[in-house]
Amino acid sequence: MKEKRKIILAGVVIGVIAAALVWFGNPKNMGFCIACFIRDTAGAVGMHQAAVVQYIRPEIIGLVLGALIVSAVKKEFLPRGGSSPMTRFVLGAFVMITALVFLGCPLRMVLRIAGGDLNAIVGLVGFAIGILCGVQFLKRGYSLKRTYTLPAVDGVWLSVVQVALFGLLCAAPAFILFSEKGPGSMHAPIWISLIAGLVVGALAQRIRLCMVGGIRDVLLFQDWTLLSGFVAILVAALAGNLVLNAVFGGYFSLGFMGQPVAHIDGVWNFLSMAAVGLGSVMLGGCPLRQLILAGEGNSDSAVTVAGYFVGAAFAHNFGLASAATAVAEDGAITGGPTAAGKLFTVIALIVLFVVAFLNTKATAAAGVKEPQRA
Amino acid sequence: MQYIATFFTHYDAVRFAGDLRGQGIAVQLSPVPRSLSSSCGTCARFAYEGDPRELDRAGLEQLVRTDSGRYLPAIDNR
Repeated sequence: MKEKRKIILAGVVIGVIAAALVWFGNPKNMGFCIACFIRDTAGAVGMHQAAVVQYIRPEIIGLVLGALIVSAVKKEFLPRGGSSPMTRFVLGAFVMITALVFLGCPLRMVLRIAGGDLNAIVGLVGFAIGILCGVQFLKRGYSLKRTYTLPAVDGVWLSVVQVALFGLLCAAPAFILFSEKGPGSMHAPIWISLIAGLVVGALAQRIRLCMVGGIRDVLLFQDWTLLSGFVAILVAALAGNLVLNAVFGGYFSLGFMGQPVAHIDGVWNFLSMAAVGLGSVMLGGCPLRQLILAGEGNSDSAVTVAGYFVGAAFAHNFGLASAATAVAEDGAITGGPTAAGKLFTVIALIVLFVVAFLNTKATAAAGVKEPQRA
Repeated sequence: MQYIATFFTHYDAVRFAGDLRGQGIAVQLSPVPRSLSSSCGTCARFAYEGDPRELDRAGLEQLVRTDSGRYLPAIDNR
């Protein structure tokens, strides 16, 4: 009960910070979005050329370093890895691309709901179905195999990269790309974003915040502890948005149409988030959780984050990412998922099921043969 | 005595629980308590009166005895 109270309290703080970041300048319903922010950072370092989504997001840097600092202080920094890293890299890329078909990670999905975006509820249903499918594989033996303790240096590489990225953000050399318009140009001041990231990273490490883990625990153990954190984020961000909306206007709009950085195609909102849910169960956590685990020294999660970066670059280089729905002057509706994005989502679901099946079969077979130690 | 076992994978936990149930020991699977680990994996909770070293097997990460809210290490395979 004490643990649940802590999680709810941390969730409230994170929800308020997310709403505040929008007031400070982040795009609407995007106080945090791990997928969008990694995509923006990938664009800033030239991994893709989508001019409207290029910016080194300090929130990502803060999340990783916040988890690193608090885990070091609490003596929980534990360098480990070796659990099917290449499979994790590919799964990470698939999760990222399908998240960009939806236009958001699971955390942003919650923040979109808090902003009144009903498209995100369709995504949430797909996400839960994807997790349900993943849980069926878990029950039957799905595993990417165990991790092993590694030298400390192996556990800090992603954090070192984040420090380097922060240096590049502050120095802003000519080869780093910054959007002049679009979502990439909208951001809170650097230090506010960094501090927000550090605080949320530290809190997320302490409470093991994970949207996938929350729903998975409910399905596997009927345990609502982890999920209560995301419910708290939703309620706090909703309250924050309603207050901002009452004072300034434009922070809450209930409906499907006219939602910021979102599209209205329900089928692909559902299917893309189903892929994100399934892929994230297979990885052992949502994109936020992977950043936190990487900060704690888990090099498998760092490899997954590398997969996210490559997936984000592919999503924009190959026209897989969706565009936000917009209404033209003649009334025509534009945007939505691309044909390539739809095809990729179907392929991603097929590949994810095949990988899940193969790793379930392999584990079950190994379980029969594995000698017991005692 | 009450024990909590943590594992490298969820499936290791399922197999461990199956083994113990086969020996007539009641086991409850649940999320790993935060006070024990920052991992969000699966743990097994059970009562056992024998030598805890007899419970060591492939896939077992950690076995602790719980005593008034404290965790006393019995096996650590990390």
